Amino acid sequence: MRLPHLDPYLRFLLLANLVIVLFAALRSGGTFVGIDNLQSMATQLPELGLLALAVMLAMISGGGGIDLSVVATANLAAITAGLTSRALFSADEQATAFTLTFVAVALLVGAACGFLNGLLVSGLRFAPILATLGTLQVYTGVAIVLTSGTAVIGFGDGLTELGGGTLLGLPYPMWVFLIVAALLAFVLGRTRFGLRLYLMGTNAKAAHFAGIRTRTIVLATYTLSGLLAATSGILFAARANSAKADYGSSYLLIAILIAVMGGVNPSGGFGRVLSLVLAAVALQFVSSTMNLLSLSNFLKDFTWGLLLLLSVVLTNSTFRWWTSRPRKEVNAGT
Amino acid sequence: MKRSVLVIGAVSLVTSGLVGGAVFAQAKKYDMVTVVKITGINWFNRMEQGVKKFATDTKMNATQTGPAQADAAQQAAIIEDLIARRPAAIAVVPFSPETLEPVLKKAMDRGIVVVTHEASNQKNTMWDVEAFDNTAFGARLMDRLSKCMGGSGKYAVFVGSLTSKTHNEWADGGINRQKAAYKGMQMVATKQETYDDADKAYERAKEILRAYPDIKGFQGSASTDVAGIGRAIEEAGLAGKTCVYGTSLPSIAGKYLDTGAVDGIGFWDPADAGYVMNKVAQMVLDGKKITNGMNLGIKGYNKVSVKGKVITGQAFVDVDKSNYKQYPF
Repeated sequence: MRLPHLDPYLRFLLLANLVIVLFAALRSGGTFVGIDNLQSMATQLPELGLLALAVMLAMISGGGGIDLSVVATANLAAITAGLTSRALFSADEQATAFTLTFVAVALLVGAACGFLNGLLVSGLRFAPILATLGTLQVYTGVAIVLTSGTAVIGFGDGLTELGGGTLLGLPYPMWVFLIVAALLAFVLGRTRFGLRLYLMGTNAKAAHFAGIRTRTIVLATYTLSGLLAATSGILFAARANSAKADYGSSYLLIAILIAVMGGVNPSGGFGRVLSLVLAAVALQFVSSTMNLLSLSNFLKDFTWGLLLLLSVVLTNSTFRWWTSRPRKEVNAGT
Repeated sequence: MKRSVLVIGAVSLVTSGLVGGAVFAQAKKYDMVTVVKITGINWFNRMEQGVKKFATDTKMNATQTGPAQADAAQQAAIIEDLIARRPAAIAVVPFSPETLEPVLKKAMDRGIVVVTHEASNQKNTMWDVEAFDNTAFGARLMDRLSKCMGGSGKYAVFVGSLTSKTHNEWADGGINRQKAAYKGMQMVATKQETYDDADKAYERAKEILRAYPDIKGFQGSASTDVAGIGRAIEEAGLAGKTCVYGTSLPSIAGKYLDTGAVDGIGFWDPADAGYVMNKVAQMVLDGKKITNGMNLGIKGYNKVSVKGKVITGQAFVDVDKSNYKQYPF
């Protein structure tokens, strides 16, 4: 079989997914590939996937780029959106207006949170890890003050349908995720902005001297991260029919893990949406397999860690047998 | 060559799955899963003993699971996955009842029996099991705290999270009892949130000790609260001068009870609660009715009161230095 244009990350992830699916399908006696489990996984994955995409963008931008505030942004967006829409409309009687307001406010707040991160990083030249660690605390703090730590509850039929409904058998959250991922892949791969972002991530100085306005790119990138996080927050809220300051508090490290396992270079300049999606899928497969087979959730964390280490080892260029295979096959084929 | 090793590894993994699958197929009567807030802490390890005892007693396939991190999102994801597995019943100790409503509704819509514990406000459940009336329990802790403090002085109240309904009912039960009966006492600051984490409780206690050097009492709610408070009290050398009472377990608070940093704890036996949750689920599956005053066959649940969907026992356990060793968990 010739797989010339698959980079090592993609190859590793495809193989990992294949092994997990085979193992899980056989071991669970078919339940794993049953419609219930597939829908369950397709409902869970998007929240984490979107957060990982948000982290990925910040990483690609280079200069130690990372966004630690993604979960806090998601929750703050969902909470402010919930509070605003509830103040303006009745969740049950004006479901459409409620839902639209909710989504609009969430995205607006998410963009604002991301913009603030971008300002700190590009304008004030804060190290991204410090800037976003700070805003992580600030956004969570604001969310707790707004709610005194309690949940904002009851978002009506529109949002619950978004969280629990399906279209053509595929849950709505998965549609949202696929559309957003496709859009992002297009933006990164086919637009000037994407090209400049990768260039800047590879070498910010060279990009600057080549006339790229790096500050603007950084600002736009973090704002986009904020938007992605807010989209995740909308899904949080839709699935739980509530929003809470500490929801998904364990998701930050998992999102970073997905990004890195998906081959995103933490020092900037490289990262593919497709690899990241596959990494998210692999983690979801592992997670659901553990639950289906009633295995410990600590084993799940362990397996995730193992997958990350494996991906680092197997995609490292010192392992020639693995990384150089396609070149050999291309040669052999011609 | 290395590639072949990988292939062999993959194949053997898949084969082991096949063999294992065959063993799994011999299902017992009902598949019942208990989902706790977090795995690996003493409280829920003890609950697992109860679940296992239930499995042995009844020959049901009763197991326990829960997230490795205390996070409502992860608990919801686990239940979501379980629904696909279609167990007969799911017993849940919700981390945050509100965020689980949609997923528990989904479980019930698919015909899965849902029983909860420590969530008397849960809408999407068939029965909620409470060890005792929470307000009464909180008041009982306050009675002991007040007796120790001689009925006067400043005290602080800790909760695992401000969103945990039970923790807040205990805290408020205590605070209201103090306001009604012990006017010489004053609560300082607001309820302190510790995220069910002894280290957080320790930090909060140190902050309180710094802000109120004349503090005399603490009432904890999460099982880890008194451990964190006890550590802070010990470090400050205040073991004999302060009174610390709270919900906890002997295994967590024992060493602080010995040194006097913690004066007394109250609890219910999570093993019994785990047992009773599964028992109730089994009764629902068998089509049996649950009525007021019923005997559920476990000490403290011999004469339960039933109000709406909430089943309440009288399973109080009060413990101090003298008798904590009788409860080896």
